[in-house]
Formats: sequence, C-alpha cells, structure tokens
Amino acid sequence: MPNNNGCVYGLTILSPILNDEKATPSHDLQIRNYLATLPTGETSPFAHAPGTHLCRLVVMDDVIYVGMPACEEHLKSKYLIFESNLDAAGGAGLESYLRGLAQAIPQHLDAVWSHCVGYPGAANAEAFVRYMKACQIETTFFFAAVNDKTVTETLRALQTQKAVADFIARHQGMEHAKLKAEFLEFATRLNAEPLPRPGTMGSRTGESDAWGRGRGIKTGGHNE
Amino acid sequence: MPGAEAEESRRVAIMSKLNETDIQGFVLRGYNLTYARYFYLHFEDAARARKLIARLLPEITTGQRWDGGKPRSTVNIAFTHRGLAAFELPIATLISFPVEFQQGMKKRAAILGDTGLNAPEHWDELWREGRVHAWLGIQGLTSSALDTASTEMLALIEETRGAVVLDSQDAASQVISGKATTKEHFGYTDGFGNPDYLGVERSTQPGQGKLMPDGSWAPLATGELLLGYADEAGELPVAPIPHILASNGTFMAYRKLHQNLASFRAYLEEHGRQYGGGKEKLAAKFIGRWRDGTPLELSPDAENQAIVQDPQRSTNFTYGADGDGTRCPVGAHIRRVHPRDTFGFNGKLIDRRRVTRRGLPYGKFADENEPVSDSDDRGIIFMALNANLSRQFEFVQQQWIEYGNDARLGNDKDMLLGNHGGHGKFVVQGDGSQTNPPYVCTALPNFVELRGGDYFFIPSITALGMLAMGLVDPR
Amino acid sequence: MSNINGKVYAMNAVTPMKPWKTWVLRAIFFVLWNVKPLQQDLINLSFIEFARWVVIPRRRFPDLGNAQPKEELQYDYLLFFSNFNGTWNQYIDAFSAVLAKGLNLIWRWSEKFPGSVPVTIFKEYIARVQFDTDYYYTAYPHATANDLKSAHIVQASFDVLSQRAQTATPEEFAEEYLDFVLQVQCHLGETGEAPVVF
Repeated sequence: MPNNNGCVYGLTILSPILNDEKATPSHDLQIRNYLATLPTGETSPFAHAPGTHLCRLVVMDDVIYVGMPACEEHLKSKYLIFESNLDAAGGAGLESYLRGLAQAIPQHLDAVWSHCVGYPGAANAEAFVRYMKACQIETTFFFAAVNDKTVTETLRALQTQKAVADFIARHQGMEHAKLKAEFLEFATRLNAEPLPRPGTMGSRTGESDAWGRGRGIKTGGHNE
Repeated sequence: MPGAEAEESRRVAIMSKLNETDIQGFVLRGYNLTYARYFYLHFEDAARARKLIARLLPEITTGQRWDGGKPRSTVNIAFTHRGLAAFELPIATLISFPVEFQQGMKKRAAILGDTGLNAPEHWDELWREGRVHAWLGIQGLTSSALDTASTEMLALIEETRGAVVLDSQDAASQVISGKATTKEHFGYTDGFGNPDYLGVERSTQPGQGKLMPDGSWAPLATGELLLGYADEAGELPVAPIPHILASNGTFMAYRKLHQNLASFRAYLEEHGRQYGGGKEKLAAKFIGRWRDGTPLELSPDAENQAIVQDPQRSTNFTYGADGDGTRCPVGAHIRRVHPRDTFGFNGKLIDRRRVTRRGLPYGKFADENEPVSDSDDRGIIFMALNANLSRQFEFVQQQWIEYGNDARLGNDKDMLLGNHGGHGKFVVQGDGSQTNPPYVCTALPNFVELRGGDYFFIPSITALGMLAMGLVDPR
Repeated sequence: MSNINGKVYAMNAVTPMKPWKTWVLRAIFFVLWNVKPLQQDLINLSFIEFARWVVIPRRRFPDLGNAQPKEELQYDYLLFFSNFNGTWNQYIDAFSAVLAKGLNLIWRWSEKFPGSVPVTIFKEYIARVQFDTDYYYTAYPHATANDLKSAHIVQASFDVLSQRAQTATPEEFAEEYLDFVLQVQCHLGETGEAPVVF
C-alpha cells in the first residue's frame, strides 16, 4: 500500500482554501500569517499531539508554468498542503492519528483549516476525520530512510546515543569491577530518564557552536 | 554496466589541450622552492594600478615546464573582488563573479564555521580591515634569491606608484640538515594527495585522481581546477564573463592558520600515555598518516618509508576494507577531506569536492625538546585552489571539517583543524587488541586558529594583459 | 516561512504531465516499489529522511462541493516532497552525480524537464518548479538520517549489554563491554545544530 512504508504512514492532504474576495486579508494570506508565528520547536502543536515524525504545511498558490511549448494553465482554488510522516501501525493507524490531532490541538487545527472549504471544525472528531479523508491524496511512492521506529523509540535512541558516548569517554581504562558497577548504575539512571520532548534535542549546555540562529526565514536555495 | 564504462573511458581519453604559457605556474604546480614572501597590495588609482600590472606581466611565472632547471625565483599574482573592482572593470563583469567571491571570506565566516576563536574579530588587522586587493606571491630557491626578487618587485611598485604594500608574510619549508622538507609544525609530513587533473600532470599517481569502476585511478576533469574546461559534471564550470577573463584562471581560498604547538604537544603527551598504541600511533590516528607520511591504511602498525618514497604506493589506497575505521579512523583528517570510496557509488560523490593545496609553514620551527608557547608566531599559510569556491573549498570546510554527517559522525569536527572551543570529541576506532584499542579523545582545544585570509582570483596571463590594458568588456 | 528546520530541508516541487504519461510513471513507481533492489541507491545516499511523490490526476483535486469552482486542467500534476539533510546544492549535486538515470526515469514525463545532467540546467529547472514551505516541523531537528540509523544501532547494542550486565562477572562484563564499544564506535557522533545554510 503506497501510503505505508513499514510502520510509517505518508499522509498527503490537499485542502481547497476559501476564495472570498471580500475577505481582507484573503484566506490564504491569513493561513500564512498564522503559520508564520506558529512555533516549530518543542512548543509546536505537532510536538504536543502524538505520532508526527516530520510534517509540513504549504499554501500552494497555483501550479507552475514551465514555459513553451507547455500550455499555461491555472488552478481555480488555492490549496493548503499538509504532508505528514507519522506513526501508524495497522489499518486504524491514520484514524487514530487524526483523532489524536483533534483531541490535542483543536484550536490550532481550527485556526488553520477554518480558512478551507467545507471544514467542519475539530470539535467533532468524526467529522474532522471524514473531512481530512475527503482531502487525502494517495501517496504514489513513499520513501523512508528508517521505517520501523516510532517517534518515541527514535527520541529514546537519540538520548541513549548521547549518554553512551559520554559514558564511554569517561570510563576508559577503568578496572573491571568498577566499570561494571558504574555501568549498571548508568543503565538504571538512563532508563529512568524522562523521554526527551519531541521538536528539540539540542544540547542545553550552551556549547559554543554559534551556528544556528533562532527561527528566522531560512530558504536555502542556489546562489550560483 | 559495459555501456556506461565505455562511455566513461571515452570521456577520459579526450585530452584537454592546455596552453601552459597562459596559466600562472602557481596554479599548475607547487614550485618546491624553499622560501616564500607574500605581499598584500592595495590599489588606490586604477590607471596606476594598470601600469603596475603591465610592468609586472613579463615577470609573472607561467605554467611552462622547467625542463631546463628551476628558476631561482618565481612571481605570481591574484586579486580579491575588491581588487578587481579597483581596476574599474565594468559592473556587469564584476557582478558575474560567484557570490562567495564577491562577498569575500570574512563575510562567509558563519558558513565556514569561523566563529569563536576563529572569528574575524580575532584576525590579524590586515585581514580584519578588508583592504587587501591583491596577493603578490614570490618564492625563492634561496633566501637571497627571495630577497633579490622581492626587492625588484617592490621597486616596480615604487616606480609606478601602482599600489600600496599593506603588509607582507614570510613562509618557508623546514630545512633539516640542509635539505628542505615538507614537515609542518606539529611534526607531520605534508604535501600528499593533491589531485591529478587531465592535461596538467605528465603522469598520474594512483590515489590522487578519481576512482574508476574498475578500481583504477584516472585524472580529474581539468575544469575542477581551471575555468574554461569541462568539469566532472560534464559542463563548463560557472565562470565570470567575458570568457576570456575567466578562462585559464582559478580561485584561491587563502587562510593563515596559527598553530598552537604547545597545546598540541601537551595533548598528545597526555593522551599518548593513556592510549594503548602509544603517542606516535595516536598522532597518526589524528591525521590518517604517521608523522613520517606513511598512510595508516597501508601500514597500520608502523612507519614505512618505502611506501612514502614510492609514488605508486604513497597515495594508493581505499577505505573499502576498513569500514569500521580500525586502521584509519573514520574521522581522521585525510579520510574526511578525501573519502575516496567511502560513500560508495565508485567515489562519484567526491569527485567535485577536491581542492589543490599550496602553501607553506611560517614561523620558527621548534625541536621536540624545545620549550614552546601557543603565543609563538607559527602556523601554516593554507591555500586551496579550485574552480568553484562554494562547491569545493567551502563545502569541504563546512561539511567535512567543521561537521561530520557525511562521515556518519554527526556534529564531530576534524581533530586537528576543527573549531572545538574546548568541547567535542575524536573517536579512534579500534579492534580488540592492546595496541589498537578503541579510544575517545575529549575536551578538544583549538589546535589551529584562523588569523585571517580571503578569497582570490588567479587570472590567466591573457586576463592579466586585459586588466593591464583596461580592455575588459562584458558581453 | 522556512524550508529548513534544524538539519532537515523541506523541498516542494510541482510539475505538469500530459495525462497519458502519468500512466507510464505509475507503472515505473509500481516496479520501483516492488523490486526493492532498485531502491538501494536511494537508501545508500543516506541523506533523505522521508520523500514522496504524489500524482494528482487533473480531475482529482479535492472537491468539497459548496461554492468551490471545479478545476479545469489539461495536465496531471506530479507533486514531490522531500525531507533531506544538507544544503540544496549538495542534495541536487549528489543526485545528478549518481542517480541521474533514476531521476530521469521519474521526471522525464514532466513537461520541459531538461534531464538531470548537466547539473546547472537541472538546478535551474528545479528552482523554477520548487515552491516554499510555510511551516515545517520535525520531532528530531538535530538528527540527520545518518544520526538516526546510528542511534538505533547504539540503542540495540545498549539493550543487549544492559541485559548481560545483570548476570555477568566483572571479567565477563569487561569482555562484553569491549564488544559493545567495538559495535558502537562508529556511531557515537554528537547531534546538534546544523551548519549555516549557503
């Protein structure tokens, strides 16, 4: 099934955006404005609702004219694209993800999707799920580098990797009995550590890597 | 796939015919002249600057081969973007230069990881100021040949009032028992691994070009070094207009790297004691070669001068059989900057990430037993030549030296060159044995600090002539 | 608006296809999906976290009724969404260098596709058909695909060692521990901030 790859699901939603000439700013711009201020780190709504590995929201204004001899044509509506890579084991996976969104972050869903045609609101989870499925496009081909680990397992593994690297560095050349004792203590402590919050995983110790900046506009792209 | 291989070898067989008299010699070869002096010039008047270039032109050393013996001295010249602008070139030409060259290295500091101790605010005033317009590189076989040539060039500058000399930098190979060596201050033997390019070398050395599907090595496309020739992507590299200004030219990243010799020696002493393989082996693990130049991949347990002296062997290896890094660590310097077959795909992902290195150490050499201080003025003048600064030098600096994702090492940086700031780690992968154990180095100081530099364009002789005559028109 | 979050880049591209060509593309994707070895190159490139292609037939843009006007299009559209590590240039350079045939197989059905070699013209095409992301979330911004794979290896080895440590003598443990270190020694890279985009 093309939407599934292992235990990850590739959800592609295209929601037509309301086209009301009397709205100022227009609905698509209102969506954009809202998204511009929405946090993308650990306070992101998608960190709060469970199951999202990576997701994006994109306002697709129109299709793109690639030049003659291709014909120029235009979409009659703008579309809000929601592309999500989520944990969804089994057939009920998608529905439980969507219900999870409706329960955890209804205010954000409403703020964004209320600008879309036919959106029923997140208050009624059934209606919300039905709406999303009506907007769903089947993923034709879905590639995943890691397709057998959930978000939780991934965060846990990243935490372990960091802790293990640190342990190994500190315990070089240690006498056997002491090594064993310290390892057992380390393992117990690590297993008791709370799971890191999704949307973060940076070091909090203020290391001097002065590379990243706060959330700004980062387009990337070519400059040659 | 037979079809693809035949096509590949057909492409390889087409020789680029190089006009060596039109290319500055510094681009095509390391001169192996022991002494160097670099002058940094600033142009105040376009007309006088042109006169100076016209007078310098006959003195510029070209790529013509020295079949009759080495000259006693050489002269070459390169320009920053500001320097080219000082010649009042047309705006259309100036803005056709690549963005990174227009910005200059100082503005690219965040991209290159030149932050913290390497940030421009810690650079020498010469480079902080940003007034360098040209680099005039003089090299001499002897110290007096160097002085003679320098005096002559300074006289030309005086006479034409074509430039102001902002500063100068001396550099020299370490001379041991009367012979010039390629050793740098940390004690490593440098000078291996410059790429072979089609049409540039008379012979190629296995391991220096690009890896072919059958495991042999072929020269890299000329366009990876020189503008105006086909590059490894099967096109002419992005170049400024007009063609005639760009062809046979190249770009140079010039970086003055101060070396903290005291910190390096102390670190190596301390960790060499704890590391099962001993101090020399640990030093070898940092770089990927023993300090005498023997590659770890070919000789993991001991130095071996026979390999070092044999060009058929000294750079002839791949890492395919050493996926776990037990011979040469996965993060060792030479493995980071020239991964060879590590990424699979027959090495094709690295063919466009190679640079030619020139440069010499500067400052007083100190014996192993001589007391040294980090504040002593010593280091290496590092110069990287490539057709495209952002795709080659900047990429290697950002992605392979100050970062480790392609080596599957996350954010870990190059042990010796990395901008560690006291943090980070270097993992020496090992096997189960006593003399090759796994070992982790932590709390890494900055062994090397950037003290300045910039991006330069090294024009062809023709282009220099056009600059001198004020004949540059954009298309 | 941002295409980048931590170490991962969200690329969106839309290209038009003549409807009859869509069927060829679907067949190609079908083969690609079911003949796993063909995906090996994509897996070995190791800098894509997730990627997907979505064909939207011209009459299948979601229609929620109400007052929404029906789309009247001549072309089908191929949407491409990638989540990859590294810079835009690095990404496209890599594909053009080693997966040119695969890329051509997928995109030659799109109008005006110039081929993935040589790379400069290919990059111009992508720049034209790429559109920007408004909001990008990742649960693990400081980890690349390589970091994830390494992390899972470390976790698995750690779990095994933790088990064995319970009942091993110090000597036995020391041996197990050495084995453990040898297993994870290539997988201990720090995670953290991404290099600055250029």
